[in-house]
Amino acid sequence: MSGHSEDPVAEESKRFFTFFNLSMFLVAITGVEIVIIYVKTFESASIIGVLFATSIIKFFGVIWWFMHLKWDKILNTILFLMGLVIALGTYFAVIYMADSHPVVEKFEVAKIEDAWKADHSYQASDYVLQGEAYFQARKDHISNKSFEPKHWKKVVGVPHAITFRITGGADMIEINSKNPENPYFHLSHPDGDEEIEESTTALLASSASTADFRIKVRSEAFWTEVQ
Amino acid sequence: MSDASAHALEHHEPVTSTGIPNKKVLMWAFLGSDCMFFGTLISTHLIYRKISATVGGNFLDIRDVFDIELTSFSTFILLASSLFMALAVSAIHKGNLNSTRWMLFGTIVFGSIFLACQVYEFTHFVHAPGNELTLSTYRGEPHVFGSTFYVLTGTHGTHVAIGVFWLLGWLAYSFTGKMSTAHALDVEICGLYWHFVDIVWIIIFPVIYLMEYAM
Repeated sequence: MSGHSEDPVAEESKRFFTFFNLSMFLVAITGVEIVIIYVKTFESASIIGVLFATSIIKFFGVIWWFMHLKWDKILNTILFLMGLVIALGTYFAVIYMADSHPVVEKFEVAKIEDAWKADHSYQASDYVLQGEAYFQARKDHISNKSFEPKHWKKVVGVPHAITFRITGGADMIEINSKNPENPYFHLSHPDGDEEIEESTTALLASSASTADFRIKVRSEAFWTEVQ
Repeated sequence: MSDASAHALEHHEPVTSTGIPNKKVLMWAFLGSDCMFFGTLISTHLIYRKISATVGGNFLDIRDVFDIELTSFSTFILLASSLFMALAVSAIHKGNLNSTRWMLFGTIVFGSIFLACQVYEFTHFVHAPGNELTLSTYRGEPHVFGSTFYVLTGTHGTHVAIGVFWLLGWLAYSFTGKMSTAHALDVEICGLYWHFVDIVWIIIFPVIYLMEYAM
């Protein structure tokens, strides 16, 4: 932060060579950036590291010499760096928010085709296929040798099992059918557990498969969608 | 009298309590705030690039659209324009009006070439056969990449255009016969703006363009 010399013309003449050399240096660095991208013999992380470093060098080269911060009072540097620090803070804060993202490891929708079985333990709401019709258990029971209608309620539609496993935490899960003629919508708000594995049943108007559904999972600012 | 005050008097600048001309402080404060503006735009682009990395179930490979040779050329052009600008400021400080005029003209020409490259690039991207990148779609599928990319690079292009008009104003003024070293500060402030536009591109080029080739 030196002041100006007594002869501003001589000072400016000296700066000419500084500006020219800096300009050549900036062009050379930019050339290096482009070459390492073309050659691509390094790993991605190394290339990104080099790009990051060269950008910082060029950035400070321009503000320090071209923008005269080297010769100006420090107040100008402080004013500019305040904005720069806030900008970088914003960037890292948002990156941090988006860094923890949920991953849908498994998502399956399959028609329930379990036929009724004798001497089997059933829980309330279980579905079975008996003949051509679907039935839902009224209460927990163990089946006898023959099908007892008093334990079952005939349902209209096709029951499906929907299973999913999500890792990376989630605070909202939304599952819906892509077919308007076979509607389904499920919304849940887990506690943000790191790993969620659930299975639920859905009574649909007609048969469907995984491809007919989409699942959307949200964790803070991050949405993951599987169609 | 301090060096700065002596320099202020020499260039007919009013002495201020900070020892820095108010116009210059104001410009630096503006550039600081513009840093936040571009920081937000760059952050938005990078975040959406990360969380919306696919289109139609496949990884969005924007290299099919980008023309890195053209963008590299325009980057060199903008860097060269910064040299012209620095030399224009240096020349006006020395009272060399003819040199100032030529350096301003060089900056304007190079800035205009950069803008022309950007217009060509945008047109090429929007109409790239099979790889159309519009504000809201990529290859006809809805995607956010076009929005964040065009808003960011378009905002930068607008800054360049404003800079070109500002420089054109100074170039025109230099022919009125009224321009002297008394205007050195004003040209220097214009130069600060121009260099800022350059450093923003110094960040945009590797982060938005080159990074796509590193992944």
